[in-house]
Order: sequence, then C-alpha cells, then structure tokens
Amino acid sequence: MKDVTQVVATLSHVPGVIAAIVVGASDGLIVEASAVMGAAAGADDPRKHTAALAAYLYSKVTRASHAARLGSPVFMRLEAEQGHICVVGAGDVVLVTIVTPKANLGRVRLDMMTAAKGES
Amino acid sequence: MSDPTVAEAWVAGPLRRLMEDARLISGVLLYPTGRAVGQFGFSNAADVMSICALTSAINASSRELGRQLDGKPFYEMHHAGADRQVFMARATAAAQEFLFVGVFDRESSLGVVEIYFAEFQKSLEKLRPEKQPAAIRPSGDFEGELNRSLDALFGPIGKK
Repeated sequence: MKDVTQVVATLSHVPGVIAAIVVGASDGLIVEASAVMGAAAGADDPRKHTAALAAYLYSKVTRASHAARLGSPVFMRLEAEQGHICVVGAGDVVLVTIVTPKANLGRVRLDMMTAAKGES
Repeated sequence: MSDPTVAEAWVAGPLRRLMEDARLISGVLLYPTGRAVGQFGFSNAADVMSICALTSAINASSRELGRQLDGKPFYEMHHAGADRQVFMARATAAAQEFLFVGVFDRESSLGVVEIYFAEFQKSLEKLRPEKQPAAIRPSGDFEGELNRSLDALFGPIGKK
C-alpha cells in the first residue's frame, strides 16, 4: 500500500488544491492531512469538519449510486460558490481535496484517481 | 425520531440539534453525579436510570484510568459494536460539568458525531442560564437523585 503521507503530499502539490486529506471511510476521522494553503494564523481549521462530512456524504452517494444500479461512485465533486470538494474512495479510506474555483479539475481528478488506485 | 424530554428547558434545543445533525439513535445528558438532565430515544425510565448509573460509573473509572496511564483524565470514549456504536464525552458550561452518552449506527460516523458534539458543547456554553442552580454535587443519595431526575423526564412512576 502506498504511504498515506506520500498521497497527501502529492495531492497537496497539485495546483489549486487548498488541502488534501485521507479520511477513514467508516468513521470519518482524519488519517492524514496536509496543511491548509493560505490559511491565516488563528483561523478556523476546516479540515476536521470537511473530512467527516465529506466521508459521510460519500457513503450516502455510494448508496444512491447502488440504488440507481450504477455500481460504486468513481469520483465525486461538490461545486460550491468559492471552490470545490472532490472525493474519491480507496477501500477503507476516502481521499478528499478542497480545491479553488480556478483549479484544473481534470488534473485534480486524474491525480486523485491515480492516488486512489495506489492506495486501495 | 421523538423530541428530547428534558429536566432543564434550556438544554432541549441543543439536544434536539445534536440528535438530528449527528443522526443519533438515542442519547442522555446527565450530571457526573448520575442525575439525568435530558434524553431522547428512550421511552422507559428504567433504561435511562441504568444508563445514568453506568455512565456515571464509567466516567469515574475512565478518569482514574486516564490519570494512572496518561497523567490526566480521559474525557471521551468510543465503543464500536457490530451494529451500533457508543460515544461518551464530557461537556462543560461555565463551571458546571455534564456527561453525554449517545448511540449511533451506520447512518452516522464517529467523525460526524464528534464535530456536532463540539457544536453542542458550544451551544451549552452560550445558552447556559445566567443564574445557575446551586452547584450539583453528590448528595450521598445516589438513588434518590436518579429517581428525582427520572420523575422530571418521564413523570412520577404510577401517576401516568
């Protein structure tokens, strides 16, 4: 299995990625997380909330996908006003990135999928 | 999901929000002495009584265990069962300490419960009445305290 620290380091260096997190799929707890790019000192840390809720959301999306007889989700992207949350499942963990609106989403997607293949 | 029943009205809102947001099946908020403050998910006073007594005892022993093993008390505990999981933690509002025990299943996760419990803790701090009731200390009448708090939650036994 590829080292989760290495996965986080690789994803956090993709242009436009604000934070990369590896989260337990069933418990929603952070396994490994990068620093938050551009975060002001003393600002609220969004990683714990994002990790837990993204993992939770991914589990619901998985159920919806199975209910629709589409199999497991491959890539999930949540588009918000000020950026995106991208999630990819990798066995017992999910990879989560917080991404700027101007990021190259194709590159983010490809790198997350590649990392997930090495992870699972 | 049924609404929480409470012995102190100010905890009803935070308890309901915690129950809904964290998708908890049941939960009890109590004083460390074992006196129940609010509950949801239970219809039987005897169940709440057992949970209060056990939670109070587990809290006391896990604190002591923490002190012995780590030099400081453990304040949070999680047990993952096959289908259901138990989360137990302390919350404080000013100087008053509370214990919370909640049960969840695969509809939630420990991470989700933890983040909404942190928000619950903040709500307790914010909504705490200015005029606090007299400090809750063990009176030595553990069973009496339990029964009085259960009467407040479920009504006196035999009068329903």
